[in-house]
Amino acid sequence: MNGERQLSASGVTGIWRRLGREIWDARFIYLLLLPGILYFAIFHYGPMSGLMLAFKKFNARLGIWGSEWIGLKNFERIFATPAALSAIRNTFEINISRLIFQFPVPIFLALLLNEMRGTRLKRVYQTVYTFPHFLSWIVVSSVLLDFMSNGGAVNTVLVALGGNRVNFLSDTSLFRPILYFTHNWKEMGWNAIIYMAAIAGIDPSLYEAATVDGATKAKQVWHITLPGIKQTIITLFILEVGRTMNAGFEQIFYMQNAAVKPVSEILDTYIYTITFQSTPSYGFSTAVGMFKAVINLAMLVIANRVVKSLNGSGMFG
Amino acid sequence: MVQARKAKRNSLNKRTFGMVAVTCVLTFTALLILLPFYNCIVISFESPQAYMLHPVSLYPVEFSLKNYSYLLEKGQIGIGYVNTIFITVTGTVYGMLISVMTAYAFSRRRFPGKKALFMLMMFTMFFSGGMVPMYLQLKGMRLIDTLWGVILPLGVSTYNIIILKSGFEQTPIELEEAAKIDGANDLVIFVRIMLPLQGALLATFTLFTAVAYWNEWFWSMLLINTGSKMTLQTVLRAIICEAAVDSDINSGDAATEVFSQGVKMAAVIMTMLPIMCFYPFLQKYFVKGVSVGAVKM
Repeated sequence: MNGERQLSASGVTGIWRRLGREIWDARFIYLLLLPGILYFAIFHYGPMSGLMLAFKKFNARLGIWGSEWIGLKNFERIFATPAALSAIRNTFEINISRLIFQFPVPIFLALLLNEMRGTRLKRVYQTVYTFPHFLSWIVVSSVLLDFMSNGGAVNTVLVALGGNRVNFLSDTSLFRPILYFTHNWKEMGWNAIIYMAAIAGIDPSLYEAATVDGATKAKQVWHITLPGIKQTIITLFILEVGRTMNAGFEQIFYMQNAAVKPVSEILDTYIYTITFQSTPSYGFSTAVGMFKAVINLAMLVIANRVVKSLNGSGMFG
Repeated sequence: MVQARKAKRNSLNKRTFGMVAVTCVLTFTALLILLPFYNCIVISFESPQAYMLHPVSLYPVEFSLKNYSYLLEKGQIGIGYVNTIFITVTGTVYGMLISVMTAYAFSRRRFPGKKALFMLMMFTMFFSGGMVPMYLQLKGMRLIDTLWGVILPLGVSTYNIIILKSGFEQTPIELEEAAKIDGANDLVIFVRIMLPLQGALLATFTLFTAVAYWNEWFWSMLLINTGSKMTLQTVLRAIICEAAVDSDINSGDAATEVFSQGVKMAAVIMTMLPIMCFYPFLQKYFVKGVSVGAVKM
C-alpha cells in the first residue's frame, strides 16, 4: 500500500522532471519564440483583453480594468441607434455585393491570362495588372477620382462623344458600383496570381488527353481547369466570407463624401467617426467593434462547415 | 482527306480568333489601368495656366515643373519622405526579425506548448480586439504621437510566418544533424545554414513588409499630431484635403483651385515614385511569394 503510493508519487515527479528536461533541451527554441510571444501578447491579446470595455462604462480616471461593469447595455444601445443599424445594413449589403461583383473577377482574369502562357505579352500584362495592388488607397483613389471627376478625362470623353456629364462621385446610386469597380481595378490582377499558380500546378497530361479526345477549349476549362483550382477557390471564398463585416475601411474612407454617406457608411467608418470625431464613448465603440469581430468569426466557422458538408473538405481540412 | 484538312483549318481559325479576342480583352483592361496613371502624370507636368484651358489632354500642352517645385518648397513632402523611410527601414528589420525567428522556432522539432502557442497565433488571423482597444493599448504604452506607435504593431503577419514556417520545414532534417556532428550550435545552424536556404522567400516577405510600411496610413493619422513626425501618406492626404478645401473656399478664384489640382497630382506621383521605379524589377519576387502561398494552401 505504502509502496504503491510512493511509486505513483515518483511517477508524477518523473513526468515533471521529463517535462523540465524537454523544456531545457528546447531552450534555444523558446529564446527564438520570445520576441514573437511578446509581440502577439502586446499587440493582439492585449487589445483583445481590452474588449472587456464593451461591457463597461469607460472612465478615463479608473482605466479599462477599474471602470464600472454595465453588462450588455452597450450592445443594447447598438440596436437602439439608427445610425449603427444603418451601418450594419450597409456593411452586409456591400460585402455580399463584393462577393458577387469582385470575387469571380480574378478567376476570369487568370483563365484569360493562362491562354497567353509563354508569351512575352503575358508578363507585360501581369506587370500592369498587379502594379496598383502595391499602392495605397489614398494614391489609387486620388488617381481614379480625378479621372472620374466632373471636369475629368472620362466626362470630357463622354461630352465629346455627344453624351451628358455623369456625376460619378456624388451620385448615391453610382457610389457602390464605383466601389466594386475601383476595387477590381486595384486588386484583380494581384488576386489572379494565386489562381494562376494553382492552374500551373494542374497536370499537363490532362489537357493533352482532352485535346486528343477532341475537347474544345471551353470544355477543357470547365472540366479540367476549374476542378483543378476548386480547392483554391473554396479557401479564398471562406476567407472572404470571414470578412463579412469588414467592408473595406480605407477604400470607403477615401472615396466617400457627405453626399453619398447614407449608402457608404459602414461599421468601420462608423466606429471611426463616433470614436475620433466626436465625444467618444469608448465602451460603445468597443462594443460595435466586438459585434463586428464576433460576426466575422461566426461567418468564417459557418462557411467552413457548410463547405465541408457540401464538398467533403473545407479550409481547415 | 480534304475534309479532314478543312476541319483542321477551321479549328485553327477558331483558335486564332479566340486568341485575338482574349488579347483584345486583356489589352483593353491594361489600358483601363494605365490611362488614369498617365492622366495623372500629364496633369502634374502641366503648367497651371494651360491646365485651366485644357484640363484633359494627351500630353502636357505647356510642360512645367511648377507643381513639383511648389510641392518641394512647401517642405512637408520632404519631412514625409524622411519619416516614411525611417519607419519602412526600421519596421522591416523589426518585422522580419520577429517573423523569421518565430517561423523557424515553429518549424523545428516538437517542444512542450508548441501546438497551443501555434493555435494562439493562428487565432489572431481571425479575431482581433479592433480599433478602439488597440488605440487604448498604444495610449497606455505612451506610444501616442511617436513613430514607434506606427512601427511596432505592424510588420509581423501571421500569414507570412505560416508560409515561412513551411519553407523551413522543407529543409531536410539530415542537414541539421550533419551540421551538429560537425560541431555547429543551434544559432550557427539557424543563421548560416537555414536562413540562406530560404533566401528567395525572405526577399519576398521583406519586400511585402516594406511596402506595407510605405503605404501605412491609418495609424499614423490616428497617432501622429506633430507636423515634423508626419509620414508621406498623411502628408499626401493633407495635401489632397487642402486642395479640396481650397477649391471650396475659392470657388470664384479658379487659379488657386487649378494650381491645387496639379500639385495634388504631383504629390500623388511623388508618393508612388519609389514603388513605380522598383516594381517592374522586383515583380518576380512578389509573384513568387503569392505562388508559394498558393501551393502551401
